[in-house]
Amino acid sequence: MQDTAIIRPSLPQLESTARWLALLMLAIGLHIFEASLPSLGPWFKPGLANLVTLLALALMGPRAALSLAIGRVIVGSFFIGTLFTPTFVMSMAGALTAATVMIAAWRWIPGISLVGISLLGAVAHMLAQFMSVEYLFIRQPALFYALPPLLLLSCISGWINGALAGYIAGRLGHEKKQ
Amino acid sequence: MFTAATMCAMPSLTPYSPPRQSMRHALKGTWTDRLLLLASVICIVGAWYLVQAAVAAGPVVADIYHADTLLATYPLPQRGAVPIHFQAKGELGISEIVIDAQGARIVSSPCATQRCVLSGAHKHAGDMVACVPNRILVALRGRGETAFDAVVE
Repeated sequence: MQDTAIIRPSLPQLESTARWLALLMLAIGLHIFEASLPSLGPWFKPGLANLVTLLALALMGPRAALSLAIGRVIVGSFFIGTLFTPTFVMSMAGALTAATVMIAAWRWIPGISLVGISLLGAVAHMLAQFMSVEYLFIRQPALFYALPPLLLLSCISGWINGALAGYIAGRLGHEKKQ
Repeated sequence: MFTAATMCAMPSLTPYSPPRQSMRHALKGTWTDRLLLLASVICIVGAWYLVQAAVAAGPVVADIYHADTLLATYPLPQRGAVPIHFQAKGELGISEIVIDAQGARIVSSPCATQRCVLSGAHKHAGDMVACVPNRILVALRGRGETAFDAVVE
């Protein structure tokens, strides 16, 4: 008789997966919520969904953050009906660039906190969106007329989101230790 | 069994453990964060100055583009003048643009969410209205009243 051993994931693996899925659900919800907000400017959003990416980076590491950024754009776009449209391309470009920049900053900039990481992520997100539109859809430098004030807004929102992420990550880490 | 007790006993998966801090303390950031903010703001303000220097020349005009093609350029009409109606053919269909004393606006577009239409009229140099799905851009330049004001889909 042949032994049939069922390979079960370990509890730490299950916990990690469950936590990642919870963050993904939160990010998707915030992605959809942000899409319903009135526009403050071209492609400007408060960056709440990006805050969850930052939390995933702080709590689970770069791979989880990158996969969460990709996952929330795909699933979120599916729910708001923009999957594979130019809006989806812009969202994906922004989310991927922001996640990559935040990971690089987290790894290689000494003394940086989640506030600085979020600041760089927000600026990278806005730049990537404008550049993707300029490169792929509307090839006009006139697009960049509105970019500087939006980058300033991104700095503000990125700073606040980073502080929020630091506060939340600190509390989650504390709860976990207890 | 997967219980709270077993969860607490598990090794930490956290690659980084941020210290628990108040929101007020978190908002301060580190010196590195503040230096990054300062560098970002200096770069952005410099870029803004350069953009304004390039945009603010001559009377306020509206440039209408489809992708990489300039379709038309119209000066903003004075109050009481006849509004200009322009139909820009894009990827999805025709976006109808009206330029009058209130500014330039997209009044109809074949895009799904209609944010470009809902954004209303724009009349300041540096403003823009874009319908990305239809690849239509209306950008204003000139020595007019300058303010940040733009909405796109």
